[in-house]
Amino acid sequence: MAYLTLSHISKQFAETYAVEDFNLDIDKGEFVSFLGPSGCGKTTTLRMVAGFEIPTSGRITLDGADITNKAPNQRHVGMVFQSYALFPNMTVSQNIGFGLRVRKASEAEIKERVKEMVSLVNLEKHADKYPFQLSGGQQQRVSLARALAIRPNVLLLDEPLSALDAKIRVSLRAEIRSIQRRLGITAIFVTHDQEEALSISDRIVVMYDGNVEQVGTPFDIYNFPRTPFVANFVGSLNTANAEVTDTEKGLLNMDGVQLVSAAKMDGLKKGDKVRIAIRPERFSFASEGKKANVLDCQIENITFLGSVVRVHILVGKTKFTMDTFNYPSLALPQIGDMVQVTCSKEAVLILGEATS
Amino acid sequence: MNLAKVQTLSKTSKPKPQTRRIPVWSWFWFILGALYFILPLYATLQFSLQMKRDQITLLAYQKAFEDPQFIKTFTYSNILALATIVAGIVLFVPTAYWIRLRLPEARRLTEFITFLPFVVPAIILVFGMIRIYSTPVKIPFTDIELFQPLTTTHFGTNILIVAGYMVLAMPYMYRSVDIGMRTVDVRTLTEAAQSLGANWFTIITRVILPNIRASLLSGALLTFAIVVGEVTLASFLGVNAFGPYLFLLGQHLAYQPAALSFVTFLLTWMAMGLIQLFTGGQGQATGAH
Repeated sequence: MAYLTLSHISKQFAETYAVEDFNLDIDKGEFVSFLGPSGCGKTTTLRMVAGFEIPTSGRITLDGADITNKAPNQRHVGMVFQSYALFPNMTVSQNIGFGLRVRKASEAEIKERVKEMVSLVNLEKHADKYPFQLSGGQQQRVSLARALAIRPNVLLLDEPLSALDAKIRVSLRAEIRSIQRRLGITAIFVTHDQEEALSISDRIVVMYDGNVEQVGTPFDIYNFPRTPFVANFVGSLNTANAEVTDTEKGLLNMDGVQLVSAAKMDGLKKGDKVRIAIRPERFSFASEGKKANVLDCQIENITFLGSVVRVHILVGKTKFTMDTFNYPSLALPQIGDMVQVTCSKEAVLILGEATS
Repeated sequence: MNLAKVQTLSKTSKPKPQTRRIPVWSWFWFILGALYFILPLYATLQFSLQMKRDQITLLAYQKAFEDPQFIKTFTYSNILALATIVAGIVLFVPTAYWIRLRLPEARRLTEFITFLPFVVPAIILVFGMIRIYSTPVKIPFTDIELFQPLTTTHFGTNILIVAGYMVLAMPYMYRSVDIGMRTVDVRTLTEAAQSLGANWFTIITRVILPNIRASLLSGALLTFAIVVGEVTLASFLGVNAFGPYLFLLGQHLAYQPAALSFVTFLLTWMAMGLIQLFTGGQGQATGAH
């Protein structure tokens, strides 16, 4: 049985559904991210797990107990907020010990646990400081330590890294993941940043407009997007319209260019117009080895991005980008050259109906 | 050009820091405004020091402080002020908190209500209170009396006057609390405390109140200044407070009222000074991210 279950959860505000029929089972110790653009319902869902919003319908069970209508202070979940939410009138130690004091733990226990948590987040030298004396990254680590100090059943993180600069975000997210793994705590992480979600999650729930688009591991979400939204939102994507020419062989015609795809064509027939997608990094130069699809193209532009070289190509009438790893002996063509690029049939995804 | 010369020149001819020049007219209006406040105060002080002819003496102050009625009324007014402050905190803090947290649509109505004491004179308030509370409180449509008229007992009158003072101090106390809460992210702090297991009482006493300390102090000191000097409510409710005492003293004496007026001014300025002292540090201790 799953440790945390959200079953047919919906939340309605006036006439609008912020979350609609959300279903998810989370195992103990799992790190799940809710990923999506602003307004997709990810934070509302998290707040329903925390108890700050009551679902319009559905059930939430935690370790077998129904917590749907339980008050937030009775759920024993730890929460980390985007704005840190540290108590300004308390020091780092006092903030971390607050939850234990509320639970009437002994002074000795509080002292020991606070020391343990301060050490966990590497803030030993700052234990007696007030929040205004700390940097953003330090404040967020205090917030994390405070949430963990009470040994919560579930750790909820509501875009905890959004207010931090890029470098701190990268280091802190790794730290969060490391601590979560070490303690074996079940965690739900809300973010709109796909890189964050992909890099630290066991599973990702991609949401859009109140609905779940796809649930899967980062690998599945990235390589096998099931909806056009997931394909477009996660990673970069080349898309184009194409016509189905043979459903058994997986053949498509993209403006006179033949493509072969390994995608299932159930429900499709010859002549159907579909939207296809190919990730930029799935292309390679044919000179390095040919795959199922070999395409003649013209080099339109080349952009050097450091570890990656982005090549803008024209395949027939369709413009694509191709990302290739940079290495010293890379033989790049010149702008205007006619070359052949290749990709596997698995790289050609079918997203749905063609768009105008 | 010789670089060494340029460097030497730059060392010896550093630009002087520019001092801000205040326009003459600003000084004029400042001095005029200061004189408007200071001159009458100085006149009062000077008068209070002239109880003995051709001498500067503190005799007026001595006589005023020696009067047992002064001690009695001043102490009583201080107790009333304290009771008003405590009752105000108990009423206004949870109200402002709840409106900020759950009832933002009630803000405008509440703000209107808190401004009413500026519009309704104290004399109207006290006559209304006397009218209502000078009769027994009965269960509607019966003759069963729940409470005796509050105006007939000392305890009842004290309750009435504290309630009246709460109304007079409401614009200052409520707004101080409301402004204090605006500087604090009340909602997120509440949710953080709730997620850690705190109940409402713990949240208000351990999270909200400490973070609006400076605002509470502002409101408290303003309330103190209002209560200690208040005359109308105290006179009509017949309580032996400092305001009426000072008024009566002025009817038949000259120097002592001047002395006590000056002392009251000083007390009020002290209260303002304390507000400045404590609110000056609030920005660092609360809410800096």
